[in-house]
Amino acid sequence: MSIKMPLPDAGVLGRRDEIVADLRRIVPGEGVISSAAEMVPYESDALNSYRQPPMVVVLPDTTEQVAQVLKYCHANGIRVVPRGSGTSLSGGSLPLADAVLLGMGKFKRIREIDFDNRIVVTEPGVTNLAISQAVAHAGFYYAPDPSSQIACSIGGNIAENSGGVHCLKYGMTTNNVLGCEIVLITGEILRIGGKALECAGYDLMGVITGSEGLLGVVTEITVRILQKPETARAVMAGFPSVESAGECVARIIAAGIIPAGMEIMDKPATAAAEAFVNAGYPLDVEALLIVELDGPKVEVDELILRVDAIARACGQTTCQISNSEQERLLFWAGRKAAFPAVGRISPDYICMDGTIPRGRLAEALTRIRELSEKYQLRCANVFHAGDGNLHPLILFDANLPGEMDRAEAFGADILRTCVELGGVLTGEHGVGVEKRDLMPEMFTEIDLNQQQRLKCAFDSQGLLNPGKVFPTLHRCAELGRVHVHAGKLAFPELPRF
Amino acid sequence: MDILKIRDAADVEQAVQAALADERPLEIIGHGSKRAIGQTQAADAVLDLSALDAVVSYEPNELLLTVGAGAPLADVLSLIDSKNQHFAFEPMNPARLLGTGDDAGTIGGMLASGLAGPRRVKDGGARDHLLGAHAVSGFGETFKTGGKVVKNVTGYDLCKLLCGSWGTLAVMTEVTLKVMPRPESQRTLVLRGLDDLAAVRAMTAALGSPYDVSGAAHLPAAVLRHPDSGMAGVGDGRALTLLRLEGIDASVKHRAGSLTAALASHGAVDGLDDDASAGLWQAVRDVTPFAAIGAFGAWPVWRIVCPPAAGGRLGEALAADTGGAVLYDWGGGLIWVALPGADDARAALVRGRAEAAGGHAMLIRAPQSLRDATDVFHPQQSGVAALTRRVKHSFDPKDIFNRGRMTRGTTP
Repeated sequence: MSIKMPLPDAGVLGRRDEIVADLRRIVPGEGVISSAAEMVPYESDALNSYRQPPMVVVLPDTTEQVAQVLKYCHANGIRVVPRGSGTSLSGGSLPLADAVLLGMGKFKRIREIDFDNRIVVTEPGVTNLAISQAVAHAGFYYAPDPSSQIACSIGGNIAENSGGVHCLKYGMTTNNVLGCEIVLITGEILRIGGKALECAGYDLMGVITGSEGLLGVVTEITVRILQKPETARAVMAGFPSVESAGECVARIIAAGIIPAGMEIMDKPATAAAEAFVNAGYPLDVEALLIVELDGPKVEVDELILRVDAIARACGQTTCQISNSEQERLLFWAGRKAAFPAVGRISPDYICMDGTIPRGRLAEALTRIRELSEKYQLRCANVFHAGDGNLHPLILFDANLPGEMDRAEAFGADILRTCVELGGVLTGEHGVGVEKRDLMPEMFTEIDLNQQQRLKCAFDSQGLLNPGKVFPTLHRCAELGRVHVHAGKLAFPELPRF
Repeated sequence: MDILKIRDAADVEQAVQAALADERPLEIIGHGSKRAIGQTQAADAVLDLSALDAVVSYEPNELLLTVGAGAPLADVLSLIDSKNQHFAFEPMNPARLLGTGDDAGTIGGMLASGLAGPRRVKDGGARDHLLGAHAVSGFGETFKTGGKVVKNVTGYDLCKLLCGSWGTLAVMTEVTLKVMPRPESQRTLVLRGLDDLAAVRAMTAALGSPYDVSGAAHLPAAVLRHPDSGMAGVGDGRALTLLRLEGIDASVKHRAGSLTAALASHGAVDGLDDDASAGLWQAVRDVTPFAAIGAFGAWPVWRIVCPPAAGGRLGEALAADTGGAVLYDWGGGLIWVALPGADDARAALVRGRAEAAGGHAMLIRAPQSLRDATDVFHPQQSGVAALTRRVKHSFDPKDIFNRGRMTRGTTP
């Protein structure tokens, strides 16, 4: 672990036994875990190259307990790291040595299904997929589908503003949530939004979503659900170059078609996936494009023809069109298994998550190839091509001296490239600890200060999830100072009317 | 009062710093088309952003548009229309409702007000389409948030806060928006003569179907009777329940057939094609039945957002209790209420009922004297109100932007 985290507070660590005892009074029984052996599973999330045992793990099962724990921590200056299912790819729930790890896994109940208002009210520990399963009998589903959806919790999805293959058409988490119950670090319980499409006042739900556990702990969530489309079909087209596949993506969008999903895999990723799941992927193409259309059959059939015509014009060399649900799922099987497939051909890998303007896909890939040469590490690429979100998978062996550091440096260079090409550091995995120190590549100090001022409005002592997102921490009092530039004329030089 | 004509983004920063030095509050305007909305402000000067009207870049293939905050909405709409694109959230033009001419205002005003039209039920609001912004905070500093890509989770999503903040947090100078392909065709299904409860039931069934309904509105008979309702010629005087389908032609036809069949138990369904359909939805979007020059023009108008399925009962009760007129959009989730004169626009009654239904109510049109006596924006529960004040303070600690516009009596 090469990243610097906030220094542990010796005073807090010194009072550990007392703190554990106090927490046990709030959350009785097995809800407080303090033995080193039992805390091991909580040492990291899915970014498992970073590990840190927490001071203590607390697993509350009521909102009141969450409020009491936070109020206690606030009163005693104790840091808190919230955690859902621990599937963050950016280290969003990496513990701190002097912090309470607040696990929300016991919040597993769906509280209300309201088909008339097309919403589900759920506790945060419910998995993403479980929401869709709970409403499937009526033909509904919850649209955002991160690839970890069987395991990741909806609370974690709120924290990370999770995306997925289908967010091109159906939006990310933020476009599919209406309200929440949130507990602030002071222990105050607030309700934001609800079943209505908009809340009164500022769009606080909008800024809580994607705040990576730094603003509050969500204890209930209201999500929108949609009717499942009548049908879905996929086109799988091979191209002689990533450029031509990228051009095809641009022309599909330009033709006014917003597919349900649009994914590109490069040759190494295709080969790894094919070896793993035998999806029948062509192995002699440089890029494989999968385009999924959904909706009424008549619409899907027509759009499939339009997409196929565009792909031909862009020089596709292979083409398959799914004619059954089984076939469609097979096309996706390899793409969905791309990460574990790459895991089989390399002892270790890290997955990057930058976004670039779609039109610069080919350029980005060329730059990634050059970096691969420079760092002498292999890289397989999968892209959410429709929205320009890249997932380069850097292959390395952590047992070889220096490889891990090289892989991280390679990854950082990829993200710098994304920013240079007009893009951003992260499309859906979050900043966490992983991209924290790259934030100044994209934001000035002023930009970051404004974000931290918002943090101060929710958590003035900086106790919730410190060390994530922001490379440097400032005191709220310092950030809140207004620097009036003395000696300036009132509204100088401006034309007046 | 001074009107400060901004020439470029640097001017904004300078003007804000000067305002800070003197602690002089500023009213932020584009074209000023929505100045009649909100509480009376305590402003010493007007910051006029209309010169920030550049189209910085428009990339149809990327679905991206970057413009100055002062760019006229009408011009921008025709620009993107020329590439068969649009803002999917269908921004409302409140000019006819307010009686302020027909200027649709600027992009900055569109975002700051965040008033979305009928397609919000399917494609979201302004907040779902603002991808990035440059803005000047009340610290006198220019910051950026978001980016110029459609998918981004880097840092807090401050764009969400800027949308619908009515210019009280920061002065946007340049914004990047997501544009979407305009549907190739549209068709509106019409059910006639339903009462409000039956209409909301029909809309609920339609929105809960897989047929991708992109607009669901109900116009009770009372709002159609007037020749200037914007609905002339579409009906026979009976209430209209409208359901819009959009997309490629074959799909629209297919879904229209399926939806008609699915709604059989709700009543007879007939159809309106492209032109008539488009005109109707524009009237719904802009609430022209309550236009300032129309039959209800003298009445205050409430905008109530509530859980859609609760809309019918709420609207019917409000009409009965106040003698007012109502119309429904968003499948019942947005209710416009025009009610006859009272000193407080029946605020306690309207808000009590809206809250009981899980919604909230904004007094969007009323004479200044009435607005001075009533909360325009729905009062919040104390904890949320306190958090709101802290959020405001984190952007604008000296309260120099649109002071008092969202909060009556007290400065936040």
